[in-house]
Amino acid sequence: MPRPGFVLDVDKSTPPILFHHGEGFRLEKLPAGRTRVIYPGEPLEPLEDVEAEIRKALAEPLDSEPLTALLKPGMKLTIAFDDVSLPLPQMKRPDIRQRVIEAVLDLAASAGVDDVHLIAALALHRRMTEDELRQAVGDRVYDAFAPSGALYNHDAEDPDNLAFLGTTPHGEEVEINKRAAESDLLIYVNINIVSMDGGHKSTATGLASYRSIKHHHNVSTMHNSKSFMDRHNSELHHSNWRMGKVIADAGVKVFQIETTINNDTFGQDGPMSVLAKREWEWTAKDRVTFVGMQQGLKRLSSPTRRKIFQSHRAPYGVTSVTAGAIEPVHERTLQHCFDQHLVEVEGQTDILTMGLPYICPYNVNSIMNPILVMCLGLGYFFNMYRGRPLVREGGVLIMTHPTPWEFHPVHHPSYIDFFEQVLSETTDPAIIEETFEKQFAEDEWYRHLYRTSYAYHGVHPFYMWYWGAHALKHLGRVIIVGGDPRAVKRLGFKSASTLTDAFEMAEDVVGPEPTITHLKNPPIVMADVK
Amino acid sequence: MKALRFERKPGRYVAATVAGRLSPGKGASVGPLKLKDVDEPKLPADDWVRLRPRLAGICGSDLATIDGHSSHYFEPIVSFPFTPGHEVVGNLDDDSRAVLIPVLSCVTRGIEPICPACEAGRTNHCGRIAFGHLEPGLQSGYCSDTGGGWSTDMVAHPSQLLAVPDALSDEAAVIVEPTACAVHAGRVVAAMGPKATVAVIGAGTLGLLTIAALRSEATVGTLVATAKYPHQKSLATTLGADRVVAPSELARLVRTLTGAWVLDGGQLTDGVDLVVDCVGTEASLAQALQVVGPGGEVLVVGMPGHTTLDLTSLWHRETAIRGCYAYTRPDFERALDLVAEADLARLVSATYPLARYTEAIEHAAGAGARGAVKIAFDLRKKDRR
Amino acid sequence: MAERKGLEKGLVALQKVRARVPAVREVVRKADFPYRAPTVPLTVEPAPAEQTLGAHYDSDWARKLPARYARFFLTEGMVRPIIAGLAQPERRGLDRLTDLDGPAIFAANHHSHLDAGLLITSLPEPHRHQVFAAGAADYFFDSKLKAISSALVLNAIPFERAKVGRRSAVQAAELLQAGWSMVIFPEGGRSPDGWGHEFRGGAAYLSIRNGVPVVPVHIAGTGRIMPKGRSRPKPSHTVVTFGTPMQPHEGERPPAFTLRIEAAVAALADEATSDWYSSRRRAAAGETPSLSGPSSGAWRRTWALTAQRKRRSSATRWPDLD
Repeated sequence: MPRPGFVLDVDKSTPPILFHHGEGFRLEKLPAGRTRVIYPGEPLEPLEDVEAEIRKALAEPLDSEPLTALLKPGMKLTIAFDDVSLPLPQMKRPDIRQRVIEAVLDLAASAGVDDVHLIAALALHRRMTEDELRQAVGDRVYDAFAPSGALYNHDAEDPDNLAFLGTTPHGEEVEINKRAAESDLLIYVNINIVSMDGGHKSTATGLASYRSIKHHHNVSTMHNSKSFMDRHNSELHHSNWRMGKVIADAGVKVFQIETTINNDTFGQDGPMSVLAKREWEWTAKDRVTFVGMQQGLKRLSSPTRRKIFQSHRAPYGVTSVTAGAIEPVHERTLQHCFDQHLVEVEGQTDILTMGLPYICPYNVNSIMNPILVMCLGLGYFFNMYRGRPLVREGGVLIMTHPTPWEFHPVHHPSYIDFFEQVLSETTDPAIIEETFEKQFAEDEWYRHLYRTSYAYHGVHPFYMWYWGAHALKHLGRVIIVGGDPRAVKRLGFKSASTLTDAFEMAEDVVGPEPTITHLKNPPIVMADVK
Repeated sequence: MKALRFERKPGRYVAATVAGRLSPGKGASVGPLKLKDVDEPKLPADDWVRLRPRLAGICGSDLATIDGHSSHYFEPIVSFPFTPGHEVVGNLDDDSRAVLIPVLSCVTRGIEPICPACEAGRTNHCGRIAFGHLEPGLQSGYCSDTGGGWSTDMVAHPSQLLAVPDALSDEAAVIVEPTACAVHAGRVVAAMGPKATVAVIGAGTLGLLTIAALRSEATVGTLVATAKYPHQKSLATTLGADRVVAPSELARLVRTLTGAWVLDGGQLTDGVDLVVDCVGTEASLAQALQVVGPGGEVLVVGMPGHTTLDLTSLWHRETAIRGCYAYTRPDFERALDLVAEADLARLVSATYPLARYTEAIEHAAGAGARGAVKIAFDLRKKDRR
Repeated sequence: MAERKGLEKGLVALQKVRARVPAVREVVRKADFPYRAPTVPLTVEPAPAEQTLGAHYDSDWARKLPARYARFFLTEGMVRPIIAGLAQPERRGLDRLTDLDGPAIFAANHHSHLDAGLLITSLPEPHRHQVFAAGAADYFFDSKLKAISSALVLNAIPFERAKVGRRSAVQAAELLQAGWSMVIFPEGGRSPDGWGHEFRGGAAYLSIRNGVPVVPVHIAGTGRIMPKGRSRPKPSHTVVTFGTPMQPHEGERPPAFTLRIEAAVAALADEATSDWYSSRRRAAAGETPSLSGPSSGAWRRTWALTAQRKRRSSATRWPDLD
């Protein structure tokens, strides 16, 4: 029986707490008496027979006819699926997307559907490589569809392959992938790793163009998404839901299949398993493994370290498969997400600490550059709340990460320019949006790289910055422990060499004897702040 | 009188070359430059006058000479022993202050008739710099007859003098000479017509002044600059640069600005209309060729030396490299105003007495890293000489 | 004098060196998590320690090749000579096993710790080196050392005494399916007084479930060498009698089959103390003496036991006075 997440009050008997630190770890003794640590829940029991659950979900969808009734000979069928940005880290094969898609295709084959396209719904993310596509959809599906060009990446900059569907009452333009829009049925296969994913966002963002995405990926929306992990209080989602209505009104029929996975990120054995354990439960073997891992990592070059970490595949268990109409499906999916992630927390804190791991949604098989560090900390982790932010307004956020001044030249070309040319001028999201976004978004070279190479769209680093806009506005100071001071400074943050120094620096902002809360993520935990 | 003397001593010159390679400015302590007690220079002709330096700047070309990596090109147009120092503000016999215009043109050499270049007012192009009644020397400060600014006494031809208004401080006046260089560059650019995009490489004294001069003399759209150090960056911005980045970031900035594409070798398909290279090293020239657009121009303001460059792009993209040397009297007159307008006196970061010349030169050689721009000798107080 | 100075210098140098090398105690005292075990926060109820001993002991490693090699040498090089020296075993009925191919469950009565070693070394090839033992989880697997040695020497897997637990049953079944034979003492423990106990259902259950025959075995004499409660062995003569392999009848339930197995072992006991034919006759008449002895007072049980003990006297019972 997995134990739920909980809030630990740190006392003198509490051992040092594990902090992720990029491709490494720190053990930090936290002040007793005024510190809380929010521990994630242990992995929920996975479904025993995933294939059967998939078949059941397709046969008994929510608010929809069974899938078999929707599949007809001669129809135009498009299957869209989530891209390489999730799950994090990537899943041990078989990926749940593969299992769902295979089940769907089995039904389509027996229904005699010939015209099937599979599209990676990557919005403005980089294109997926063949290996990554194979990992996601499996070799059977890849070999059946890719050679004939029926399995491909969505291209948000292909004017010939986008369909304008209309405008929401708020004036938001809706433009999505033409093939998806013109299909008789669009099946969306999702992985809801966090509660931000899924719902109408799947299609309205995943298959959309810059023209459409910019209506909700902007500073004002992010300021009004509190948090963007809580869809009912997120302007980001409200906008996507409005767009979803336009898509439905335009006659696009979407059959949504959402899946959730448990918290089994690091496995039950192997050297990584110690990372998911509570420190006081570390056995002698765990400690030896940990010390050995630390010493070993210290002696490796950072590319080697990165390679080792990036090759980790998580043995996630699937906890739910739900299919049918988007909204009821998503509500049920959210419940499964929250069952795994939510931990009740009483009240806010002065200082929020977090250990940032080696991966975020945008550096799979890549380098976690400083902009992504900001996005992971101030975007994703900061927004892991429901109700109120974990840290009070004007409080301090302390994160640990080496934050190297390093960029993947193929994946993140516009990030380099954003870091060098934009952040050197200002770190204010609103000014950045106003002054620089258009230039980057419309740069022909970035467009070329996005469409033909494996680069994120030119505007993507802006979105990373907007993702942290709410946190930037809310926080009094951000401190990165153990980061490259030059890079940290460029981000507009303070750098500290130790956590103790960081606490001292934080006291200048929040006063003496501050309360501290540590969000022990990953595995994923989300605070339900009362 | 006290003077820093640069003598022809090949052994010491080699030592300076080695020391200068190891640590910039170190050539001063082992090289041919020595502080000496020497006779005041004689007046070469009746119309010459005495100039007692008040402040004398240390220029990049001086440093190259001291560290032993200036080109052999200079050998016939320099005469030993000489007292360096061509950025000079000093007192005349009547105690009025004047700035030295160091170019030694036909008039100063007593050559008649004057050469066509001097005739045309382009004294910096004078063809007689090794002839006449003066020993060879392209400028005061490189000629054994004139003395130089790094002493308490030198001689100057009246055509070489420009009166300093009382309102102008010595610090402002000593920066007039490099400013005149920049004004000259600015006017060269102005003659080329409006430039939509310009990159200035280097944010030392010359780079910063060039940015100011481009803004005041020429019609320039977007001006980007490179700067290694934060104080250079903020000065460059206040003097008129739109965007300032680290040298390694220039190519990407130019790419973003011009919307260029990138070839596999890193070459940009487009670039800026004009690059002003205020450094003059192999690396800066190569970078200039990298970021200049097809049909564009590279103006070399910083003094280069013996350099290896791949000129394929010069040919393929029909770009041009053009030098830009010194100034004319009108440039100086304009510079005097510009120094006041743009408050360029702030670029003088530190002054040293002659006795501490090794420190002064090391400071000048490492100015950027030590948060400085222009270093000068202060000869105003007897006890500080 | 000079020598003393040299010596003093040496001592001083030595002390300096010692002062620089931190004492082990210091190092240990200064060590912090993770070099030292963590303390548990006061507000946290520590999780029950994960069961790695007893029935939860994972003995899979003992079936890996290195352990099998080690066991081969231990069995042949150590256990067999010891058994030969202590027990001077006489092995009977091996001919009944000639038709046996594939794994079997060897079910024997149990007097002494020697039984397992004796029985395993008495097994014919190929069973001898392809066999595992069911060891009482609470006895053989209660400490790490005991667990490791039981697993290594006897290839034991942990078995609950009272009933076959799910884990044990699954593991035993897996091994039987994989071709391993099994040694089990269905009494669930050593005899405290020399008489047998009622057989438990494990052997029958596993046999029925996995379709593996049961070979009844009777071991006589080990109780004299090292009975329960004695730690220093006394050499004596022993007899190991193998019975005919038994298959469960169609639809037979474990309790019934258990009774048959017990009866078979009892018949072998009878055979060992008398002769084969008379034991068969008594068996046919249903008069085979029970393994558990007469249900009477304590002294009569012991008395009856001495009657079985007269068989052949050991050569070295008395000191040689000649």
